[in-house]
Amino acid sequence: MTAHPTRRRFLQAGGATAAAAALMPRLALADDGTVNVYTGSDSNISDFWTNVILPGFRAQNGSVNVRVVDAGDSAGLRAIADRALAALGTGKDPQVELFEAFTPDQTAGGVEAGLWVDFAEAGIDGWDRVNPEAKQTDLDLPYRGSQVLLAYDATRIDPAEAPRSWEALTAWIAANPGQFIYNRPDKGGSGGNFVRRAIHEANGRDPKAFTIASYSEAFAAEALAPAWDILNAMAPDLYEGGAYTSGNTQSIQLLAQGVVSMTPVWSDQVLQAVSMGVLPETTGLVQLQDLALCGGFSRMMVPVNAAEKAAALELASYVLSAEVQSKIITGLGGFPGVSWDHVDPALREAYADVIPATIPTFPSGPWDAAVNDGWYRNVAPGISRG
Amino acid sequence: MSDAAIAVRPVRAAPRGGGLTGLLLVFLPVGLLAWLILYPILRAVIRTLVVQTGTGPALSLETYRFFFTDGYSLANLWLTLWVTALCAVLLLAVCLPIALYLRFAKSRIAALVQGLALFPMFVPSVILAYALIRTLGPNGAVDLVLNAAGLPKIASPYLTPAGPVIGLVWDNIPLTVLMLVAGLGNVSDNAVEAARDAGARPFALLRHIILPQIGNALLVVLSFTVLSIFSAFTLPYVLGPASPEMMGPFMQRTFTDVQDPRMAITQAVITFAICAGFGAFYVRSIARNREASR
Repeated sequence: MTAHPTRRRFLQAGGATAAAAALMPRLALADDGTVNVYTGSDSNISDFWTNVILPGFRAQNGSVNVRVVDAGDSAGLRAIADRALAALGTGKDPQVELFEAFTPDQTAGGVEAGLWVDFAEAGIDGWDRVNPEAKQTDLDLPYRGSQVLLAYDATRIDPAEAPRSWEALTAWIAANPGQFIYNRPDKGGSGGNFVRRAIHEANGRDPKAFTIASYSEAFAAEALAPAWDILNAMAPDLYEGGAYTSGNTQSIQLLAQGVVSMTPVWSDQVLQAVSMGVLPETTGLVQLQDLALCGGFSRMMVPVNAAEKAAALELASYVLSAEVQSKIITGLGGFPGVSWDHVDPALREAYADVIPATIPTFPSGPWDAAVNDGWYRNVAPGISRG
Repeated sequence: MSDAAIAVRPVRAAPRGGGLTGLLLVFLPVGLLAWLILYPILRAVIRTLVVQTGTGPALSLETYRFFFTDGYSLANLWLTLWVTALCAVLLLAVCLPIALYLRFAKSRIAALVQGLALFPMFVPSVILAYALIRTLGPNGAVDLVLNAAGLPKIASPYLTPAGPVIGLVWDNIPLTVLMLVAGLGNVSDNAVEAARDAGARPFALLRHIILPQIGNALLVVLSFTVLSIFSAFTLPYVLGPASPEMMGPFMQRTFTDVQDPRMAITQAVITFAICAGFGAFYVRSIARNREASR
């Protein structure tokens, strides 16, 4: 979800980064029958894999060794996927069995080359239980979801008065200047999906209008301009008259320090923050009812040339089991990738209030660059701030 | 005449053999430099200048033209130059007194001051960024103290251009102090005492005795800080405003998020060209120093 500032200095030649990322795992890993899982998610997710999924899988399949590798972010995963695509051409071992939080469209030419396992054809156990709302292609397996909602300080805002529509939210922001902040759209999905909700608002609240296929420069320019107007109009009433945090965590931090009263957050992150005491028990959560803030599903993918493909598919199937899917709700604060009918009925009842009927999504692909860079050029500089 | 030539010959032969050994010794670092730095730079420059067209490769200045006509990119470049200049001035203002104190103080407190001045060297910048948010940030430690004393809160530098400036100055104190103290080592106690005996006041001492002797060190300090601040990434990323961005975060965003490697490399080449200018200062001052000491 976040880009990590791991490097003190950005390398002078950008290409070196990708080269280094591609070289490192090659040196570190050997073909030893290990299932290599590459994740591009935050540390709470890689911890979940190491501490929850793997012990359970090992209890079932004691012979299989699994290694979880943090690829950093989607750029890191792209480098590994490019390596797998190159290995497909040469018939070498790609030294990766499973991608976590990746989508097929992120590897140019990967789908055409048949790089990814088709889960519908592979007939893995659990595919029919996957939430149809979450499915995008047969090449990716949605296994956990989370959604952006608004977190607020319930000691300052009466839960009954918390905004439940975009109009009420903008009215609240205007009436409480300096009390709202969202993060830069490229630095974390909570702000990113808030910006995307403004795009939905400016375009008739119709998420279906935006698909990867519907992207064209002309349509993007036409659809995004009114959204920039909406966001620019709200900017002077944001924290510091138009400041934007540099990540999901930083927004939560400002809410925790009582600097702002409301901010968009990821459902899983905010539930974890409350349970860890980072945010107080008096943190309120509310979702817009006219059209929810976007969410998304994290997807697993398996390259067809993986050395341990059978074991990787078994692992993917285990992740879809009721056991893991329930723990995604209780341990991670996420939504299951399978339909709610396939989770423990007791859990289903306990979480009835936060189960979204539908989770609006926004396509990635070419839209990401158009939305994020468009925001930097049109909204971030602000009107008054020059 | 011929006697002199004979007498000179063995002396000349020695450095020739030494030159070969010397070359062998520097081959490894020079080779690494060429492979890991010069070659990527050359490739980067070529990648930004040459585009593949239907009829073959062609020269194009398009990305450079875009950069220098795009208000947004130029604003980012100006901010980077401005932050770098301001940080360099602030660093000298903060570190010169510390270095002077460390050079001339003989007390035990000096060791403590030195420890404190070098402390930032051991703090990673991510940790520093979060520490600054918790202290100078809104409702941070400073605000809590002020509030307890019944004073108004500070205007927080978090998410404003002042945020990275404060962070970068703090982060660069150790290196600057170390280099200045080294430079001040050239100033002899005799000269200072002689000037004092002649009745020079502290300011005159600084201006006429100390500064002229550490000019070279100042140049080195300036070029080093400029180089490291110009390419700073973490502190502007975490503490700075969304826009304008400093070149480090801007390049990273163009590369990974906008997915426009050619534009990102163009930005890197421009950044590098400016840094190379300051690097030339450093090399020149080193070369001049060598000549002077020969």
